Amino acid sequence: MNRTVLIVGIVIVAAIVFVLFAGLGKDPAHIDSPLIGRPAPPFALKAVGTGETIDLEALRGKPVVINFWATWCGPCYEEHPTLVANARNLQPEVQFIGVVFNDTDDKIMRFLAERGSAYPTLLDANGKTAIAYGVGGVPETFFLNPKGTIVAKFEGPLTTEALQSELAKAMR
Amino acid sequence: MIATFLLLAFLQIKVPDAAQVLGPPQGTPLAGAQLERRTMELSSELRCPVCQGLAIGDSPSIMAANMREQARELLARGYTREQVLSYFEKSYGQFVLLKPKFQGVNALVWLLPVLVLAIGFVIVVTKAKKLEQAPVHAAKATTPAAVVEDDPYLAQVRELVEKS
Repeated sequence: MNRTVLIVGIVIVAAIVFVLFAGLGKDPAHIDSPLIGRPAPPFALKAVGTGETIDLEALRGKPVVINFWATWCGPCYEEHPTLVANARNLQPEVQFIGVVFNDTDDKIMRFLAERGSAYPTLLDANGKTAIAYGVGGVPETFFLNPKGTIVAKFEGPLTTEALQSELAKAMR
Repeated sequence: MIATFLLLAFLQIKVPDAAQVLGPPQGTPLAGAQLERRTMELSSELRCPVCQGLAIGDSPSIMAANMREQARELLARGYTREQVLSYFEKSYGQFVLLKPKFQGVNALVWLLPVLVLAIGFVIVVTKAKKLEQAPVHAAKATTPAAVVEDDPYLAQVRELVEKS
């Protein structure tokens, strides 16, 4: 009997240790997006500063990089120069779009004036666009192929290497 | 609601709409206290994506507030609980559901506790049966007669008692 209890105990403890150990390497903030391989949710939002309406559906035919960010997000400051530099190099073959949620025009304008701008920044005032894209936290960047299908999602501040690696999937 | 649509039309903006994902509402539009109650109930079923294991109803984050507002709006438009949960699941995956579905690996969450209980039950029953049998064996092994015959000291004591 003691032997049976010992074996059952070992099996239970081993299962718990396995589950905990498997979880150690995972990023708790990571969310597998069910949108990969699906058409990007359509939106048309006003660009901050110019007031121009940018309709995502009108951008079909070229890869699109959609970066969700906010002025209250620390890592967004870190990745902004990377996005601006790559947009300057790759546009107009690739279209970059910034989508800012839960923020104000004046804060966004100040941010862009101080740190540079190379592509439209759209205001998602009520966060509905972010929800439709399953955004968990900013920054998050989505890569769309010319057909408007989401092919990749990147969580956290982008580096040039990461951006080019993800963008390559949208070029195929 | 009408004011929101008029404002969006005036601003010439279009946000992703649930109808594109879910089709028409399958329930009755809610309002007032009933809407608030159902929103609260739904908010306890959806996980806040920027928190650690918190429901959107318990989270003070901006993202959770946006999701609560989105859930409230969908219920007000007549979408059912299942449709609203499905809307968020289509964007965030099953991660967003605090109560996992009974399918795939998630089924283990429901099955394992039952399995562990069943194993525990079998162990307890087996142990109880052995305990029932144990005193009988013990009694057989320690009958006074056997002890008396085998123990010369006890036999000597008994002899002395009888003499006195």
